[in-house]
Amino acid sequence: MEEIIISIFNVVGNSFCVEADDGQKVFDLIKKALQEGKKARLSFQNIEMLTSAFLNTAIGQLYRDFEEDKIKSSLTVKDMTPEDKALMKRVTTTAKLYYKDPERMENSIKEILGEA
Amino acid sequence: MNKDTLTNIDTSFEGYQQLINVYNQNKDSLFETIELSFQQWFDANLCAALGGILDKFLNGLNTIRFKNIPPKIQAIIQKNDFLSHFGYKRLVDTHNTTIKYLKLKPTDGRFFHRYVVEELLNRPELPDMSPALKKKITESIYEIFVNAQIHSETDFIYTCGQFFPNKHTIEFTITDTGIGFKNRVNKRFETNLSSVQAIKWAVNEGHSTKLGISGGIGLAILKEFITKNKGMIQIISDDGFYQLDAEGEQTRQFSGSFPGTVVNMQFLTNDTASYSLTSEVSLEDLF
Repeated sequence: MEEIIISIFNVVGNSFCVEADDGQKVFDLIKKALQEGKKARLSFQNIEMLTSAFLNTAIGQLYRDFEEDKIKSSLTVKDMTPEDKALMKRVTTTAKLYYKDPERMENSIKEILGEA
Repeated sequence: MNKDTLTNIDTSFEGYQQLINVYNQNKDSLFETIELSFQQWFDANLCAALGGILDKFLNGLNTIRFKNIPPKIQAIIQKNDFLSHFGYKRLVDTHNTTIKYLKLKPTDGRFFHRYVVEELLNRPELPDMSPALKKKITESIYEIFVNAQIHSETDFIYTCGQFFPNKHTIEFTITDTGIGFKNRVNKRFETNLSSVQAIKWAVNEGHSTKLGISGGIGLAILKEFITKNKGMIQIISDDGFYQLDAEGEQTRQFSGSFPGTVVNMQFLTNDTASYSLTSEVSLEDLF
């Protein structure tokens, strides 16, 4: 099956991918591709700056709507710096935990109150 | 007329307490003249916090008047554009140590981008820093700015910085006049955390008030970087104070509340630590 290439630089229109709203545009495209059973390659060519907020919206949300295996088998990434890959890994790990255990956040609040 | 004096304001708990005092003394004023004097010193990056407070007074149709600004302070807070928001002329910074005061709407991310490029990335007079260090500093500033955009429900975000060549530091402050950590967390989880508890909760990795989207990475990244850089973070929200520096974390409670949140970041510019990663995440392992 032919891979669709999604140029993050072109979708955002900027080499600084920092705002959550811009991440939403990327998310919408990936979601459409995955829903149609396509494979997508995300190109981070020309990207100078990424924030966790951008990646949470662009990538993290996928774990709410799709199974981990489906994401793993449908998405690939190219032209990403080692630092950005580390951030991406952190975002996907956090997202998996978040969607697997919705009570986790409430429990963490109880822990803080327990310290009081 | 209400008269207040800010005496020797530095980027410390005591400095913030004085700003909070000025806010609390005037927060209910309507159609008053509020006269503000400065004595000894005022850390220019704190213009971001003062600007947020003064705008609260302007919402009450009060008139702000500055009196007795020592020339040294006036020169800096005029050069960084702060005073031009309050009836003063703009000056050019000939010493090149200011990072301008900026007030912008949360939706104006594009203006913030231009500001970061002009005021930080393309400043030849800033000390020599490795590209990786510069990138980490910029990333930290963006993470905090985006947090204010997403979480604070503020009308405006205020930013300002100052470069201290002798101390080899950059101070950068981002302020919002939104709902604050405490109200945000308590609203989301229907709890009754204090400001300090809410801040302590929020700085932990993976903790986020966002509904339906994971998060809570930005502050954790900032903490890690600041620890390695041996800089400092301060978070002031309502009556809560949090500081992380080389001596660790400390929290305190103010008398009175700040109307929103201030995040101050201190970066060491003569940091020689390496920020390149020793091991790399494989592309196959990203998802």
